[in-house]
Amino acid sequence: MKGYRRYFRKKIFWFLITLAASILLNFILPRLMPGDPVAAITARVAMGMNDASAVRRIYEEYARQFGTDKPMLQQFVMYLQNLLKGDFGLSFSQYPRPVADIISSAVGWTIGLQLPAIIVGWMLGNLLGALAAYIRKGFDRVVMPVSLFVSNIPAFGMAVILLVIFALRLKVAPISGAYAYDMIPNLSWAFVRSVFRHYQLPFWSIVLTAIGGQAIGMRSMSIYELNADYVKYSRFLGVPDRKIVGYVFRNAMLPQVTGLVLSIGTMIGGALVAEIIFSYPGLGSALLTGITRLDYPLISASTLIVTLMVLVVTFVLDVIYAFIDPRVKAAQFD
Amino acid sequence: MRNTFRQVFHSPRFVTGFVIFIFLLVTLIVYPLVSPGDPLEMIGLGSFFKPGTYISVLDAAGTPAQTLKLPDAADKRLSSMLSESDRVSMLRWLTAVGVPESEIDLQDTSSLLKLWRENYDAKARPKGMTMSDRRFYQRLDEQLESAGSAEALTLMRQDEAGENQEVGRVSGTDYVNVKDVANVRTLPLGTDNFGRDTLKELVSAMGTSIRIGLIAGSIATCIGLLLGLLSGYLGGFVDDLIMFFMNIFTVIPSFVILILITYSIGQAYRGADTVAIVIGLTSWVWTGRSVRSQVISLRNRDHVNLSRLSGHSLMRIILTDILPYIASYVVMAFILQISSGILAEAQLSLLGLGPRTTEVPTLGLMMNWAMLYSAHINGAWWAYFPVILVITLITFSLNLMNTGLDQVFNPTLRD
Amino acid sequence: MGKTILEVRDLCTKYITRSHEDVYAVDHVSLSLEEGKSLGIAGESGCGKSTLALSLMGYYFPPLHYSSGEIIIDGRSITGMDPDTVRKTILGTEIAYIPQAAMNALNPTQRVIRFVEDVVRAHRPGTGKKEIYDMACARFAELGLPPEVLEKHSVELSGGMKQRTVIAISTILSPKVLIADEPSSALDVTSQKMVIKMLRSLMEKGYIKGMIFITHELPLLYNVTDDIMVMYAGQIVERNSARGMVFSPLHPYSKGLMGSIIVPEEGVREQKLTSIPGTPPNLKHPPRGCRFAERCAYVVPSCRHNEIPMLELEGGHTYRCGHSAQHLREMYQDEQK
Repeated sequence: MKGYRRYFRKKIFWFLITLAASILLNFILPRLMPGDPVAAITARVAMGMNDASAVRRIYEEYARQFGTDKPMLQQFVMYLQNLLKGDFGLSFSQYPRPVADIISSAVGWTIGLQLPAIIVGWMLGNLLGALAAYIRKGFDRVVMPVSLFVSNIPAFGMAVILLVIFALRLKVAPISGAYAYDMIPNLSWAFVRSVFRHYQLPFWSIVLTAIGGQAIGMRSMSIYELNADYVKYSRFLGVPDRKIVGYVFRNAMLPQVTGLVLSIGTMIGGALVAEIIFSYPGLGSALLTGITRLDYPLISASTLIVTLMVLVVTFVLDVIYAFIDPRVKAAQFD
Repeated sequence: MRNTFRQVFHSPRFVTGFVIFIFLLVTLIVYPLVSPGDPLEMIGLGSFFKPGTYISVLDAAGTPAQTLKLPDAADKRLSSMLSESDRVSMLRWLTAVGVPESEIDLQDTSSLLKLWRENYDAKARPKGMTMSDRRFYQRLDEQLESAGSAEALTLMRQDEAGENQEVGRVSGTDYVNVKDVANVRTLPLGTDNFGRDTLKELVSAMGTSIRIGLIAGSIATCIGLLLGLLSGYLGGFVDDLIMFFMNIFTVIPSFVILILITYSIGQAYRGADTVAIVIGLTSWVWTGRSVRSQVISLRNRDHVNLSRLSGHSLMRIILTDILPYIASYVVMAFILQISSGILAEAQLSLLGLGPRTTEVPTLGLMMNWAMLYSAHINGAWWAYFPVILVITLITFSLNLMNTGLDQVFNPTLRD
Repeated sequence: MGKTILEVRDLCTKYITRSHEDVYAVDHVSLSLEEGKSLGIAGESGCGKSTLALSLMGYYFPPLHYSSGEIIIDGRSITGMDPDTVRKTILGTEIAYIPQAAMNALNPTQRVIRFVEDVVRAHRPGTGKKEIYDMACARFAELGLPPEVLEKHSVELSGGMKQRTVIAISTILSPKVLIADEPSSALDVTSQKMVIKMLRSLMEKGYIKGMIFITHELPLLYNVTDDIMVMYAGQIVERNSARGMVFSPLHPYSKGLMGSIIVPEEGVREQKLTSIPGTPPNLKHPPRGCRFAERCAYVVPSCRHNEIPMLELEGGHTYRCGHSAQHLREMYQDEQK
């Protein structure tokens, strides 16, 4: 543990820096809009509204929330204070529900869906990739082009295809939502069963999208490792093949963990859009609601939470990586 | 150089990808010539017309007919009239009067009708049938009888006085040649929710999306290349500063920034090119990182040192001693950027943050419309499946080219 | 004469490339090694010496394939043995290998002791951890490595430590023959000396019975081995005692190879430093006749047509050249003047 101190200190430092940067971006980007942002937002929200006092109310609500009448720095302090309190303001599309309330119910669904799906997709992809590299002939020739093609189907495309085949044609899965629409979330068996049934299609569409890319990466890594000097050396010392495959698999996995760290943001982005196809009540759908109903506080909060999720996952993966790759520890003494 | 090209074009992966991509590009150029017209013109009144050939009924009726005696014509006519629910109702009657279900084939119209004629009796009262049920079956039977026996239609025209005047008769054996009909329009992929020719729109959307990919890819590659070169070659403070930003933007997902920026821009200012530029501005980090690491490994090679000692300018060293060595990486990164740019546009559009909808179609917008109008639930596969296929084919071909290049330039991965 | 512990007769192996072309990397090589002796193999890179090292172990996997010849270790022929039997009973125990790149020879993510366990158990299944640990400790101490090394990952070891660790692991089962493929090429001069000293001491203590040392640096061989073989284009072109080879190379290629290096010995030092023009031939289509003909300064037309046999001189000195030994020596002397 002692040897890792420098590594962790560095990782925590970067976690905090990126966190600060994403909060800053979240604050500043909408304020860079040309003209009076509050007026612009109000104009869009109030499109088609005739009631002048309602428009006025909207304007004032935004002005209060943005604090546009105050200097930028003071606005930022206000923004931070609200963040610390977990106050993201009130939603405009579901007025007067607090955004924090909407987000907190969405986060659970998104994490519950995406985390297992990405992990399963990653593992299956690695397994297939390693098999393709090890078996090569035939298997490799079939698995590779198929993986390449499948990995290029965008997550939302996969979602639509699965939806049409399994929900509409074969009618073995429900079309949308996270549980039957006539149910109220509770801990009964019926509810859990319904959640499970609704879980399948979104889950597998994310898994299938993730598998291809991972399999391709793992295959090249494994081929690279199979040609490494230690493999040859172990072979000539008579170490049995299955042990060597173990070495190779483990070593090829390590860059795949790093690869996951680097691609997790893109993966989550794709999966959020897949959520929308199934009207899964996660952050993707919250984001869509925010965008289509011009609910700025909801958009701001959803994007911030998504970023936070990515930051935390990246950090956790970095920590795990430090323990499974001894090179990290060795680098401490350089 | 020529040798490299030959090697590249010997890689089966690269060639496959290249052929697919060129095929798409050729379609893009040739199809508008074959079928000219505005891709956004709403020709259909209503949404999601099925793919097929549409023949003007008026013109067909006015075209001189020929007589063809086709034995299965009547059955075909009936079978196209019999809806799925009518067939299920017939099944219910037949089973109620004791015909085993295994003998009934709902899709085989002639055998179904034969069974019906043998077994239907208006006076029978099968178990479980209510009065209204029996009325329903009576009506169904009458319909079937009249449809089968309908021999001719009379064509009337209203004159100025409002009187109907017979102008012709159409019998069941009258046929016209499609070539003689003045107005025929083939819609290979039907129409979309707005009644637009889906295929024409798709080809145009593919063009816009590839353009978006190229713009975004060029911008991202230029920024990434520039920052990577500066950071890798100069090192020191410049490197620290650039790396600081690269580290931040590697972790903060680019699509989040993309969402914030495109939303802030507002729909009125969001053209296809603007979206492309924003995508390019948010996706250079990957290129930057890989260029930087390549440059660092090159920086202290002998030929670079020699050049530096000879007093060559920074520009010249970069152009002659560094760029040629990283060119393959840059090209590969560019190819990947194009495909990720196209994907980013599609995802943005699905979130409702795509280019404004009135000017040009993009693949993402088409997908977005198809989803908004529930094409998938309405069974209008032609509105969304070709879009998914085209996106997949574009990214597939680009990635194939990329792996092909990778195998040529990184021989350890060769198989 | 001591007991012969390794004998190789007419060994031929080839690489089969992805485009299904054969590359004859080892062509009719015969050699023998007596107990307590060491043999050096020298040649330019690409002449097939590393392939020969791998071929000698009788364990082949793609792209390297066996084609003909026989390998006899300690009186037992291993040719035609089932590969798995070779793996279990020959590799590591009868004949062991030190690879060219010792730096990368160890799995970077594995503790040294875990690898030692895998190696030992591959040949003696069911050996206890404690027993293996004691065994490893003893052999590591022999090579001046502290027992802590066993608990480390290879990335935590310095270059010299890795080198010694590899030597220790290769010899842990006391193989009869040790094949060292340029074990010192990546090291600095001091470490090279250390490696050579260690290998010699291992032989003197009887942990290994014979050694084949492969290198492109002839002066190293002069200090280490009893005999030297020079290889060119997959064939042996000359074999002599180390002294004979260094001071009076007979084959034009051996001479060229000696001319291209500086030997810190009296007499040799005065010679001009020369290099051999050209590169070794493509072994996909080996030339007929003498393979060195293209680059040889003493080439005559018959060299390109006739298959050149190995000729034997006194004292086990053999060479492969169209010219007679006497004619060659005369030509060399003429040049000196």
